[in-house]
Parts: sequence; C-alpha cells; structure tokens
Amino acid sequence: MIPWRVRQRLVAATLGTVVGLFLLYQWLPLLIMAVLSFTGPEGGTTFPMRGVSLHWYGELFRVQMIDDFKPPMARSVALALACSITTATLSVAAAQAMRARFRGSGVYFYLILLGVMAPGLLVGFGVALLARMFGLGLAWYSSTFAVHIVWTLPFGFLTMLAVFNRFDRRLEEAALTLRATRWTTFWRITFPLVLPGVIGAGLFGFTLSYDEFARSLFATGPEQTLPLVIYAQFDRQLQPTLYAIGTMTTIVSLGAVTVFALLFRLVKRRNRI
Amino acid sequence: MADRPDLELIGVTKRFGAFTAVRDVSLAVEHGQFVCLLGPSGCGKTTTLRMIAGLEEVDAGEIRIAGVRVNERPPWQRDIAMMFQDFALFPHMTVARQVAFGLEMLRRPAAEIRRRVAETLGAFDIAAFADRKPDTLSGGQKQRVALARALITEPRILLLDEPIGSLDFSLREAVMLELRDVQRRLGISFVWVTHDQNEAFSLGDRVVVMTHARIEQVGTPEDIAERPRTRFVATFVQGTNVFDGTVERAEGDHVRVRTATGSFVVPARDGRPPDPGEAVSFSVRAALVTAQPGGEHVNQVGAVCHAVEYLGAIRRYDFRLVDGRSLKLEEFTGRGRRIAEGEAITLGWRVEDGVLHAPAEAPA
Amino acid sequence: MSPLRERAAVSYVLAAPGGLWMLVALVAPTLFIAWVSFWASRTFALSNALTLANYVKFFTRPAYVRVLGDTVEQAIVMMLITGVIGYSIAYFLVVHVRRPAFQLALFLLLVVPFWTSALIRTIAWIPFLGVNGVINQALLLLGIVDRPVEAFLFTRTGITLAQTSFYTLLATGPVVYTLRNIPRSLPEAAQCLHATPLRVFWRIVFPLTLPGVVIGQILVFLNVMADFATAQAIGGHKLAFLGNLVILLYESGQLTFAAVVGVLLMIAMLLGVAVLLKVVDIRRLGAP
Repeated sequence: MIPWRVRQRLVAATLGTVVGLFLLYQWLPLLIMAVLSFTGPEGGTTFPMRGVSLHWYGELFRVQMIDDFKPPMARSVALALACSITTATLSVAAAQAMRARFRGSGVYFYLILLGVMAPGLLVGFGVALLARMFGLGLAWYSSTFAVHIVWTLPFGFLTMLAVFNRFDRRLEEAALTLRATRWTTFWRITFPLVLPGVIGAGLFGFTLSYDEFARSLFATGPEQTLPLVIYAQFDRQLQPTLYAIGTMTTIVSLGAVTVFALLFRLVKRRNRI
Repeated sequence: MADRPDLELIGVTKRFGAFTAVRDVSLAVEHGQFVCLLGPSGCGKTTTLRMIAGLEEVDAGEIRIAGVRVNERPPWQRDIAMMFQDFALFPHMTVARQVAFGLEMLRRPAAEIRRRVAETLGAFDIAAFADRKPDTLSGGQKQRVALARALITEPRILLLDEPIGSLDFSLREAVMLELRDVQRRLGISFVWVTHDQNEAFSLGDRVVVMTHARIEQVGTPEDIAERPRTRFVATFVQGTNVFDGTVERAEGDHVRVRTATGSFVVPARDGRPPDPGEAVSFSVRAALVTAQPGGEHVNQVGAVCHAVEYLGAIRRYDFRLVDGRSLKLEEFTGRGRRIAEGEAITLGWRVEDGVLHAPAEAPA
Repeated sequence: MSPLRERAAVSYVLAAPGGLWMLVALVAPTLFIAWVSFWASRTFALSNALTLANYVKFFTRPAYVRVLGDTVEQAIVMMLITGVIGYSIAYFLVVHVRRPAFQLALFLLLVVPFWTSALIRTIAWIPFLGVNGVINQALLLLGIVDRPVEAFLFTRTGITLAQTSFYTLLATGPVVYTLRNIPRSLPEAAQCLHATPLRVFWRIVFPLTLPGVVIGQILVFLNVMADFATAQAIGGHKLAFLGNLVILLYESGQLTFAAVVGVLLMIAMLLGVAVLLKVVDIRRLGAP
C-alpha cells in the first residue's frame, strides 16, 4: 500500500486503541462491581469471589434500623421526579423568555449558567448557613429540592435554548397570520415541535437530581437521600452490600435514560406524521 | 518533459463500495488548456477532480501529471492547486496569512514569502483587506482570496470545483471573465467542474460531458452544442430537440427515421450505417428549425404554437406536435412576425441540420 | 420588526421564576458564605463584627495552604491528562469513524457509564485500587511485580486514575462539537496547499477546535476543584482537597473558617475560569 496511507491507518489504529482502552477503563470497574455484588455470604469486597449468591441483595431488603436503603431510595426517586417536572417547566419558560432578548437577558443567561459553575458543596453549605440564620429546618423536599434545581435548571435551559435556536420562527408567524392568538400558537405550534427538547430537559432534571450528593450533603436534614446514604458508607468498613446498591441504582438510572429515550423517539415519530 | 500533456487520465475508475462513481475515464489536458467537466450532479465529475487532486484514491487506471504517474502521491506532493465551491478559506487566518499558507508549507524563505504575498495581494486586488478575516469579506472578495491562495505557489494545474456556484448571479459573469483572463495570462491548465453549460461553453477550450460515471463526449463547445454525440448530450444541451424513432431505411449517406410524428431524413454517422428496424435518436437545434420552410427544408412537421418567450435578441417558441411532444424553435426577433399562441403551422429543417446519435453503450 | 418582538412584558414574567430561584437558592447563599467568612465571632448572629483575621489564619497555616496548592495542582494535572485523552477520543470519533452505526455504538458505550452516578463509579474503583485489588492481582498474575503495589489506594495516583475515568468525557464533548463543525473542505484545501497531515492538524484543525478544548478544560477544572468524594473514598482521610477541608471544618463546628475555605475555593475557580475564558467567547458556541 501507499506509504502515506499506511501512516494514516497507523494514526487511526493508535487513536482507536486509545479509545478501546479508555472504554475498558470506563466499563471494567462497573462490571467488576456488578460481578462482585453476587459474591457469596462469606465473600469480601475484592476477588476472589466466594461462590455466587444473591445474599447481598437479600441483605438490602432485610429491614434494618440503620441501613435500610428503601426509604432513601423512595425519597430520591420522588425528588428526581419533582426536579424533572420543575426543570422542564422552568427551562421552557426561561428559554422562551430569552427568545425575546429582553433587557438584561445577557445577565440572566449567566445567572442561570452560574448553577453549573458554582461548586455544589458550597451551594449546599450556603443554604445550610442561611437556614440556620433564619432558624429554618432542612429537609429533602424543601432545601435539597431548591439546590437540586439550581443544578438541573441550567442543563434544561441550555437544551431549550439550543432547541429554540434551531426553531423556525416562520411557523409561529404563519399561525399568527392565520388568526391564532399567541397563547394558541404556543400550545398548538411551538410546544409540540419543541417537545423532544422538553423531554430532554426533564431527563436532565431526573438523572442529575437522582445522582446528586454534593449539593445535598449540607442541605438535607435527617431524612437522607440515597446518594447520601451511600456516601456515608465511604467511612465505614466496605461491604458487598454497597456493590449491590451500586448495581441496582445504576440499573435504575439506565432505566430512566431508556424510558426518556423511548418517549423522545415516540414524540419525534409523531411529529413527523 | 514539456511535450507531455500537463494531465493525463488513463482508464481511471473509482468505486465507493458497490457504487461506481467514475468508470474507465480517459482524458488528456494539454499545457495551458482550459477544460470544463460538465454534467449533472452525481455524474462523477467532482470525484474525478478529487482523484486528480489526490483527495480520493484511484481504484484502477493511472493519473499522470506532466507525464509522471502520481497515483501514489498524496495531495501535498502534487503540482496542483484546488479551488473549492465554498472557497474553503481558513476562518481563523487573515487574508495575508491565508495567501502565505502555501509558500509556508513549501518552506520558502521568509523574505521571499513576504515579497510574493505582497505581489499577489496586489495582483488580485485584495491588498486592502489583507488583515481581515474571511467572515468579513463579500462573496466576490472571498473568491479572489481563494484564487490568490491557490495560485501563489504557481501550480501546474488549477482544479476548480464549481468555483462560482456560491456567488450571486450578478457577479458570475464578471468573475468568469476574470478567471479566464488569469488563466490566459499565467498559462496554467485549468480543470473546471460545473453543472452549468453556459459556464462550460463560454470558458472551456474543451468541454468534457459526463454522466453516470463516464465520459459521453469530449470536444470544443461548438462540437458539443452542434454535434452532440449521444442522446444524453443532446438532451443536456439547452435548445436542442430530440427525436426517438426506428430506422426505416438507409438512403445513401442518409438515414430515414420513423418517429411518432413523422418520417425524417438525417445524415448517417461515420462508420456503420444503422440497420433498418434499429432504434435510434437524433437531434435538431432549436435555432435551425424554421417556421417558414422552403424547398430545402426536407423535414417538415405540423405543430401548434404553445408558448412564446421573448428573450431580447431571440424569441423562443414552444410548439406541440400531434403526439403532444414539445418542439423548440428559436429565431432572431428582428425577423418575421410573431406567431400567436394556439396557431397551427408547419415547421421544417434541412437534412444536414439533423444529428444522428451514437447508440447508447451498455453499462460494462 | 417581527410581531413576536413586542412581548417584553411577557418575557419578564416567564423569566422570573427561574431567575428568582437562582437568586434565592444560589446567589444569596453564596454571598452569605462570603459574609460569614468575615465574622469575628463564632456565635451565629448577623450583628457580628467583621474581620480579616480568618483569612490571615488560613494563610499562616502551611497545612491549609498546602491543601490549596494540592487542589490547584490536581486540577492542572487532570486538565492535562483529560485534555490529551479527551481530544484523542473526540478526534477518533469524528474523523476516523465513518460508519454511522459504529459511531452511535461507540457514542453509547462512552456515554452510558458517564450517565451513571459519580458515587457509584467512585465505589466501583475501590476494588480496583486496593492492595488486593484488581490492578494488583493483574500485575502479579502478569509477573510485572512480585509484591502488591500500595501506590494506588490512599494515594494521589489512585485519585488521578479514578478522576481520569470520571472527567475525560467532559473534555471530549465540546471538542466533538467543534470538530464536527469544521467543513471537510478546510483540511483538504490545506493539503492541496502542500500541508502534510501533521501541519494540517496543527495549523488548521487544532486552532479551529480550540474553543471546544477550552470549554472542556473549564468543565474539567471546575469539577476537579469541587471534587471531594473521590478524595474521600480513594484517598481515605490521608488526602484532602479544599472541598474535604470545608466538610472537615463544618463537621467540627468551625463554620466561619469553613466559610473562608469555601470563599477561597470559589475565588480560585473564578480566577481559573477567567483565565481560560480569555481564550474563547463561550456565547458563540450555542449559535447555529
């Protein structure tokens, strides 16, 4: 073969190897965690496995006073759902507002984006300090919810901005010339067309909140969310239960992604017809 | 090897998977020639150009530049330059850096680069915006920058891929003439790809008509327009009427062809006269059809005027024949009366104005 | 002017909920931290006198200053590592993978672990790094070492290994975006102007992806600076970054001092982003 083509292939092969190794690097820990979560009752947190069993999953479902993970998981799911809906709603409103380029929209853009830039730990810290100042209690459904939205809203907002950026304004103008009111135009024309983006914003709201712990750390009261319960395990003797929780919640978040992806495709297909 | 053509393609073929983009194309471009590759989109003309540049690998056949095989050479080692349809100006470089790029890549001394860039900016009348970035330039300015950038390295051949396709219509004429001037002045061979026959006919020393991955005809613009070799070329060239029919009989140097609208006499092609019963096609230029046929207009046909277009110097008629097919006629506006729409009339043309087409080649 | 432009009043109503939320739950708490950091007293009262003494205390304790230095150093190391690997992945994905199906498969394989919880992925690294961990077992098996290496768990190397897996894709994403936006004709034009592939890359492709590189670097920088969980899980209590210091001080009731560390962390992050933003304008990325 031609020498310079050979060099080109060589570069591709090298880069391909890097990507392959990186994929291995990404997946291996997760897979090994999943495998180790099925170790026998005598098994430890590393190889070799002592038999294969569902012991550690059973352990999770046995009601214990301290380490019962089911209430935190229920809280996390409820919180994530609330964040999903709130993020989607606020993102659409904020992005729709940005389309009019109102005075101060430049500052507003950065205000929302600040939620991604600000270190999560400190946002929670600040909320905890404020609550203490005013003698308010902290709880997963109030203060934690508030700081989670700070984190999820920018992602939904950017998603909706991108969607509106590509949106053809003339479709709305056509509706307006056909005597639709602005309100009708939004709900009959604009919203159905940007719905895939709205679902994306909702997905961001769900998964980002479900996995969030840095913001929750100081801002959550005694009733903890699942990531906080897991985080608390870091300081204790590691047990395969942790791997079992990890494997299960990974499956939950992958499930959520799949559900949203299916929803997304459904809407896309419907729009095409 | 000054006597060798600047560029030779010998049986060049390119496949993309199962699709053959270019099939067995052979072509020679003599030094200083202006050659236009003309054809509809997807005919393989751009792929041919990209193979010459080295941007696509050749699957079969050989490409020679100045007599030397270059199949194995990468683009950066070929004595060519290329102008892209979107001009492909580097958005992060000023016009001056842009123009200097080729010389820098050839590792010319800094002083020489400075001098030649200054000369080139002047020659192409772009010195005024030497320090601007491409996104602040108009289409015409971008085009000049792209041309300056391509020509500063003094390539043997300039390849142009629809180089004025993205310009405003009003600019094209002027730019075409300018490019033609540059080519004449520098004596560089141009290979210009276009789907616009006006471009090809007004610029090309030679025009290469392509369709379905192969060359249909190579010739001067006059050859292509007046003596289309195949049915495709005839349909592709504007202002040409095409008739399909079967051979009734050979009459000496002529052939009588029966069509749905009558029987016409056409000069036979060189070589083998077609056998009676064979399916053939022939064409007549719209400008050679007359609405006042006399004795010398042996071929005559009844038609109804369907539409008239007034194009300044000429009038273009669209007639309908008895079978509903269209027949175009062009005449100078100064001459004769305007035929009214709906008027029935007899049209005619001379035997020698018909052009019999070569039989279609079966795909290999 | 388009009739859609007259809606300024409606826009304010629409923008208000999100904006107010950010002001109440983000801006106010952050400013409050800054205020608390100047309190002269440990008692919690708005009437506290303000002082710079807390900051003086921080900078006169070498242990604390070292934590600041370690945090910044870790961020820089991670930016370098993720920058190189992240760019390679993006380049391969965009330039070398031509088949759409293969492209989608690779994309999913890369993104799916990225979508799973950071905590879980941190946990998943623990069985890897320990003395009896997978890496050591593999090294022993291959005969590369004859004794387990203790250099992974409870070390910076271990943290770096884990963070590389967490944050590399942050550096990949924006580069993929900018790489895709480069028309194929640009590198081709450079080739036709006698540029070798290496020079095409450095003179054309890399400068055009620079905005993506910088955005990616900002994301990595912010995340590493704010990361405390990786250090906690993998570094144990032997290693701390600024985030860990905040937690430590918070848990021991030193709220004003925790606030000082928090403010310094934010200042360091802002400075870093400001430096990186000197290179590109982030707002130009969203435009079509």
